[in-house]
Amino acid sequence: MAEKPMAQAAARGNTIVNVYADRVEIVSGWQGQHTERIPHRSIADVRVRGLVNCTLTISTNEGRVYRLEHMALPDANEIRAAIGHQKRKAGLYG
Amino acid sequence: MRRTGLTIAVILALVMLLPQAAFAKTTIADVKVAVDTVWVIVTACLVLFMQAGFAMLEVGFSRMKNVGSVVAKILANMGIGLVVFWAFGFAIAFGTGNAVFGTEGWFTSAAPGEVDKVFAGLSWTEVPLGAKFLFEVAFALVSLAIVWGTMLERTKFAVYCVFAVVFAGFIYPTVGHWIWGGGWLSGLGMQDFAGSTVVHLQGAVAALAGTLLLGPRLGKYDDEGRPRTIPGHNMPLAVLGVIILWIGWWGFNPGSTMAAVGAPFAYIALTTNLAAGAGVLGAMVASYLHRRIIDVGMLGNGALAALVAITASCAFVAPWASIVIGFVAAVVMYATYIFVERLRVDDPLGAIASHGMGGVWGTLSTGLFATPQLVKEIGVGDPGLFYGGGLHQLGVQALGILAAGGFTFATSYIVFAILKATIGLRVKPHQELDGLDVSEHGVYGYAESLVATDEYREAVTLDSGGREG
Repeated sequence: MAEKPMAQAAARGNTIVNVYADRVEIVSGWQGQHTERIPHRSIADVRVRGLVNCTLTISTNEGRVYRLEHMALPDANEIRAAIGHQKRKAGLYG
Repeated sequence: MRRTGLTIAVILALVMLLPQAAFAKTTIADVKVAVDTVWVIVTACLVLFMQAGFAMLEVGFSRMKNVGSVVAKILANMGIGLVVFWAFGFAIAFGTGNAVFGTEGWFTSAAPGEVDKVFAGLSWTEVPLGAKFLFEVAFALVSLAIVWGTMLERTKFAVYCVFAVVFAGFIYPTVGHWIWGGGWLSGLGMQDFAGSTVVHLQGAVAALAGTLLLGPRLGKYDDEGRPRTIPGHNMPLAVLGVIILWIGWWGFNPGSTMAAVGAPFAYIALTTNLAAGAGVLGAMVASYLHRRIIDVGMLGNGALAALVAITASCAFVAPWASIVIGFVAAVVMYATYIFVERLRVDDPLGAIASHGMGGVWGTLSTGLFATPQLVKEIGVGDPGLFYGGGLHQLGVQALGILAAGGFTFATSYIVFAILKATIGLRVKPHQELDGLDVSEHGVYGYAESLVATDEYREAVTLDSGGREG
């Protein structure tokens, strides 16, 4: 049975962000053919900018930055909160 | 025997005398109002029936997993639109007030004998207030239905409900007042007989605002940004929708005379239908020249674009001009559809092209083709450019498009932006992929195609298989 994400949101250009217990997956591409997996322990920072067409920025410890544009504010906040919750739960935030 | 004969004679006398007594006080004016009222109510029914056309059109162009949400949305919008327009919209649109808003007649009420004073915007027609309201609310519902054609298959149901309140209660009536209710555009002599701008352009512009914030359906554009076709599940249903809308237009345009006695409704029906026919031909030619096929969806949209275009000008133009207007509307619609799709604006129905550009072209077309004789008969504005009227009427029409379009876009964008920042416009991706029927309404439109509904049959089949084995 497929794992159910804790939080999910759509961003610009066929991009879907899924938050799971241990990782974030960014699915992109016309047929969802590209999947980027980011373990929570690798996430350094998550920010939401804007009110209407929001940009969710996920920065990793390796220096990679994922910018997900044109998101609805409630969706972006939900993703940020879910990542924050999982990191706190795992003791990954100091 | 004698008693029976007397009884029969008395009854016959009563039968002969009573109608005379009943009609003794009925004047020709009363009969005219009655006939006009019947006409308005019948045409209001035809316009309301257009909701069935929109439902079938949208269902046909949707995928099977979303058809239940389409019909649920149509019903919800009819309910909300009716109540809100009754409470606020009708007063803003047609109530006596200033050049921008009506300020009297809230909850569609007026003291006996003061209806014309309270609703000055519709005092030119003698039908009762109830008939006026029912006819106008059917128009408001059509405009609202157009908004959602572009936002199919990915919008939250709550968004439909909240926006319907604002659109039917404020946005649509405000522009309605400007053009039909004695507002500032009506003062300038803008010609929009049945609502190319008021109804169709407004709906399409609000749809554009919503779609820009909503974004395309998942999978609509490929990795290079090229649009991919997401075919609807049932073309015959979509075409049925177009034909229902076409028939509905028999109420939409001819009914806008809001009178039968002495009104040119048959002439208006003629121009309306000629334009629609030319629209089908225009779309056929454009489709064949562009892709070497006759696209069924485009034929339907060609008819709709032509009907939208002739809506403003149906009472002002000659039959030959209605054919030109319809044909050009379809070609413009086709080009706009391709253009809009390349701009990454996902419009499953082509509502922006058919209702938006159809509305723009139709509104401008009266400034070109309005004949002096018909303008004199209707008593609004000036003749068009091609009949020696100069550029004045064309300028007024263009100003009306800019003002109505600008106001509707700005207010709709603000409302959709607030909704996006608070509750969000889109459903979750997994809901979009599973379909809105099951995620938003808990039931499939076509349950038997998507889930097993006849488990008894399966059990019997297995049993008999076992026996045979």
